[in-house]
Amino acid sequence: MAATAALSTRLRNRRPALNAFRKAVTRKPGRLIGLGIILFFVLLAICGPWFYGSLAVDPNAIYAAPSADHWLGTDFAGSDVFQEVVVGARYVLSTAALAALFTSVLGITVGLLAGYHRGFLDSALMRVTDFVLTIPGLPLLIILSTVWSFGSPWQMGLVLGLTGWGGVARAVRSQALTLRERGFLEAARGLGLPSRHIIVKELLPNIAPYVAMHLLLSVIAFIGAEVGLFFLGLVPFSSTNWGVMLNQAVFSGGAMNSPDALVYLLSPLVCILLLTLGIVLFLDAIDELFNPRLRERA
Amino acid sequence: MSRQRTLVAGLAAAVALTALSACSSSAKKTNNGDGGGAKKDGGVYTSIDANYQITAGAPMNPFNSSPNMFLGYDQMRLGFDKYNPLDPNDLFPGLAASWTATDTGLTVQLQPNAKWSDGTPVTVADIKTSLAIAYTQGTAGPVAGAGGTIVQGTNFEVSDVKDLGGGKIEIDQLPGVKNLYFQRLVLSATIVNDKVYSPQLPADIWTQIAAVQGPDPAAAKAAADKLSAEGKTIAAFAPAKDVSAGPFVLTRVGPGEALLDRNQYFFAVDKVAPKQVILRHYTGNQQIWGFLTNGELDSSPYTSMPTNIADQVVKAGYTRTDAPSYVSASIAFNEKQAPYNNTAVRQALAYVIDRDAVTKVGEPVGGIAAPYTTGLIGSQTDAFLSSDQKSALNAYKPDPAKAASLLQGAGFTKDGAGQWHLPDGSPWTITLQTVNGFSDWIAASTIVANELTAFGIKTTPAITADFATYQKEMGAGKYAVGWWLTALGPQTDKAYNRIYGAADGFSVVNGKATHSDTSPANWFHTPATYTVNGQTIDPGQLTADLSVTPVADQKPIIAQLAAATNQELPMIQIWNYTKVGFFTEKHFTNFPKTGSDALLLNPPGVWMMQGYIQAK
Amino acid sequence: MTGFARRLAGKLLAGLVMVWVVVTFTFFLVHALPGKPGDVQYESYIMQGFNPEEARAKVTAVYGFTSHDPLFSQYLGYLGRLLHGDLGQSVYYSGVPVSHLIWSALPWTVLPVLTGLLVSFLIGVIAGVIAAVKRSSRWGGLLSVSGSLVAGVPSFVLALLLLLVFHTEWHLLPDAGTSDITLEPGWSPEYVGSVVQHAVLPVISYALLSYGGWLLAMKSSVITVLGDDFILASELRGLAPVTRARYIGRNAILPLFTVLALSFGIMFAGSFFIEQTFDYPGLGELLLKSIGVRDYPVMAGAFLLITVAIIAANIVADLCYTLIDPRVRR
Repeated sequence: MAATAALSTRLRNRRPALNAFRKAVTRKPGRLIGLGIILFFVLLAICGPWFYGSLAVDPNAIYAAPSADHWLGTDFAGSDVFQEVVVGARYVLSTAALAALFTSVLGITVGLLAGYHRGFLDSALMRVTDFVLTIPGLPLLIILSTVWSFGSPWQMGLVLGLTGWGGVARAVRSQALTLRERGFLEAARGLGLPSRHIIVKELLPNIAPYVAMHLLLSVIAFIGAEVGLFFLGLVPFSSTNWGVMLNQAVFSGGAMNSPDALVYLLSPLVCILLLTLGIVLFLDAIDELFNPRLRERA
Repeated sequence: MSRQRTLVAGLAAAVALTALSACSSSAKKTNNGDGGGAKKDGGVYTSIDANYQITAGAPMNPFNSSPNMFLGYDQMRLGFDKYNPLDPNDLFPGLAASWTATDTGLTVQLQPNAKWSDGTPVTVADIKTSLAIAYTQGTAGPVAGAGGTIVQGTNFEVSDVKDLGGGKIEIDQLPGVKNLYFQRLVLSATIVNDKVYSPQLPADIWTQIAAVQGPDPAAAKAAADKLSAEGKTIAAFAPAKDVSAGPFVLTRVGPGEALLDRNQYFFAVDKVAPKQVILRHYTGNQQIWGFLTNGELDSSPYTSMPTNIADQVVKAGYTRTDAPSYVSASIAFNEKQAPYNNTAVRQALAYVIDRDAVTKVGEPVGGIAAPYTTGLIGSQTDAFLSSDQKSALNAYKPDPAKAASLLQGAGFTKDGAGQWHLPDGSPWTITLQTVNGFSDWIAASTIVANELTAFGIKTTPAITADFATYQKEMGAGKYAVGWWLTALGPQTDKAYNRIYGAADGFSVVNGKATHSDTSPANWFHTPATYTVNGQTIDPGQLTADLSVTPVADQKPIIAQLAAATNQELPMIQIWNYTKVGFFTEKHFTNFPKTGSDALLLNPPGVWMMQGYIQAK
Repeated sequence: MTGFARRLAGKLLAGLVMVWVVVTFTFFLVHALPGKPGDVQYESYIMQGFNPEEARAKVTAVYGFTSHDPLFSQYLGYLGRLLHGDLGQSVYYSGVPVSHLIWSALPWTVLPVLTGLLVSFLIGVIAGVIAAVKRSSRWGGLLSVSGSLVAGVPSFVLALLLLLVFHTEWHLLPDAGTSDITLEPGWSPEYVGSVVQHAVLPVISYALLSYGGWLLAMKSSVITVLGDDFILASELRGLAPVTRARYIGRNAILPLFTVLALSFGIMFAGSFFIEQTFDYPGLGELLLKSIGVRDYPVMAGAFLLITVAIIAANIVADLCYTLIDPRVRR
């Protein structure tokens, strides 16, 4: 009977979700800052390109120092680095968002099905998951980048998602497996609730912290991967983004050896760091939100 | 907790084991004997071999396509090409002290003290084996269509190598074949040690070569197949140790560097100051910039770099050297696609593109904005054209008004928003194609696109994933406007062959050029003939003629081709590459300086052979 | 124990099947790539200043090693040779066995990765426990954030920053290579010292990259276990803290084996970012270079090896997991 009691508390705790969310986020200033950073970059990605349509060039002001005209100086063609950072955010963020979408849909579906049903379906799904996990994603991406054009965020996001869902699926499955052995699922099953109900209503909420954390972490990983591909110069680019900037700064501008191109290198680096920090800080709130134990003891 | 400890211990053991295997696998016992006193005996010369990135595991075999073998240091030739456009047979002496061209071939006098690093002399057997290997590697023979006339071709055709005694060697050209560049081609063949390489060759190699040169086509084909199979064996061969006739011998190759010691048996060992040479590995230009700004190199090969880095390098105590590089970056047109079939359109674009500005962004240090579009680099244009001919060339200085009038004359119109429209009324847009990895082209494309867009032709750069695809798609006619390397020299026929050759639908049989607009390789799609100064010329035929004309007689042909190219603009030459190198006199003196083009186009090992680079 | 042996055999078999699938996948993927090795090289030889004729000769030599057989018979031949441990011949290095190139590069990836893993494991697990126990304090929170941040920052960003600070700014550590070439390889203190000095930055990068993973995994694991009923029960029953700590430790460290496998795989597979940044000639750099020059056999070989390493790590992790957590064995 303790199990059903736990079940109902859990459900009760989750119902005013928005309220809990607000509370979790505002509990610590760091989380607010995190959310702020994320929102800032999202806004940048949405609105940035409206302000700066096409970048002006100036062959007479190559790698100019930061000034009132150029807040972060200029690049190899005399374009404004600040504008580039702003314009470049859209590709980076939309790709990561799309990749996260593909990942979560695929990963949760596969993981829950496998973890709950076990048996043949589990084996089959896990073989596929193992395969996806085994194929090293980054090397595969760099090989694929020579065949596919990653010009649009959709293509890049799709490929990232396709190579990245294995981790989520496995985490979801293992969590489901553990939960399966826990009392309340057995209780639910004992009560004769249908599988669909158990999966969606009982398993999913309990797995949510894992998924949410995985997802936010994988967003960071996706940003790293896509920017990295551009950084290595493996992907042909048609417009600028942070990875292209890194690539140009290091391999064409000599930012590692010359102070002139340093700001050009640091600008996208700092953006990536900031965004990572924002997600990480915010992650803390999600963590607490879905992990009531943290709250109880805090 | 105990399990955790086991895990840690296991990990530690694994690490230790790996460390062991890593070290033992790369540990080669070497006995230099006199380590330590390096400074007083010449010291260490540090540089970079631009030809190959050093790879641990690659063989010490010059016939491998990416060997750990370094031209001028431990890879030797009879002579070293001076890349002299006015005399293609001009070489620095290498293992050959001197040579005389004869009607039937070449007589070579070996360096009297030429020895391998194992102390044995360089003999005719080494030369003969090396020239036989050239046949297996496709650098020698077979020459098709040799009929007693002068042949064009990049391969030499040797029928015999004779020992005349006293280090004198006669190298015979196959009777009936006359290659204008026989001397250079033979002398720049790589010479390897007979004892090391002949076991890799069949004993009857020269019989096979004779069969390839013989009259029976079936036997020739069979022998050629056999030779190329043997060539694979040779290319993959990994000698256990380096036997060098050059100033240095490879001691070891680490994953990041190669170490060469002075070859004490080298014929001019007294001229070679450094005791050791370190050649550093690099994966990209930025690493060379790092070495230079940190002062870690005595000299650097040509490296593309931005101005800020060049300044930084000079600040670090380096002196810059400039030598011509016989290659040029151009924007080429596919004249099958309208409106680029219209000469006036191409000329108008040449007037819009500010080559100085583009070069400043694309190749600010290693490039000079092309003064003319002639299909040749600037210094060659200067050398081959008279001043009258040069002043008749159009420099296409940026002139938007002229461009506009040319376009209007061709039926183009400009709307109120400043956008140009094609004669059929549709807005004119350009996709400027470039290729991933050519960062200078990519950077330059942004400027070109900007200039054209500002002029009223909306231009977007597009980047192909890799060069192979680029070449394929360009060949298939998919790009209307794209970057292309031209003016490959120093031989002018090579430069023009790059334009009026296979890529333009020309093919040459027995000295006669024919043009086919539908040839699959054709993507330039220029007309078969041009009319220049009221004269009709056939650029394909002129190019074919050029390849069988001695340099001294080439000027009239070049003048026609240059004028035609300048007027018709199958491509717009944007910049000519310059070989920019750097050296520092921190450890050594007497480096070749700007002006010594022949030396600067060769690696430092060749400088040392000629007595350059002396201890301080 | 027979159950364990059967499980091991099953895992190995599954691993082998996986290797076969990967081999097949890799083979056809790599052969679907456009471009011939020679095409790529010709232009770069020209740019380097080779005569067109020299460049052409070199390209011809490269072409000699490109197979012209039908794809499927190439595939069968490849499989057959693989069974004998033959990964084929490099095209770019005209005929050098791929395995030779890979073995030359492998230590320079495995060594820093394992060292980095070891270092980060020690630090990460301890930090994870602290972060879990002190999760309500400011320091605990900071520790967690540091872990997440370091785990999240892309490897090349870390590597670039390290390089900027330790090489460009402070000139403390070298930015390229594995050792000073003038030193004779061996067990001499100078050589070992030089190897260590060159490995510091890559190892730090690997350690930083995996540190966050250990920390977060350990932290969440400890928290989960702390909340488990049996711990509460043992607390209530008044078991000695040492016993309780053993319970917690044993159960909390469990998920780390999955992390071990994953982070080994991630680091091994992502090594090219770090190797490229530090010009460290390991497997990742070999893979990148082979992609750049379209050296299919080397590409396939390096990719295969990375995959096999991950498969092996997964099997090991899985078995460890089985040994420790009886619940999964059922």
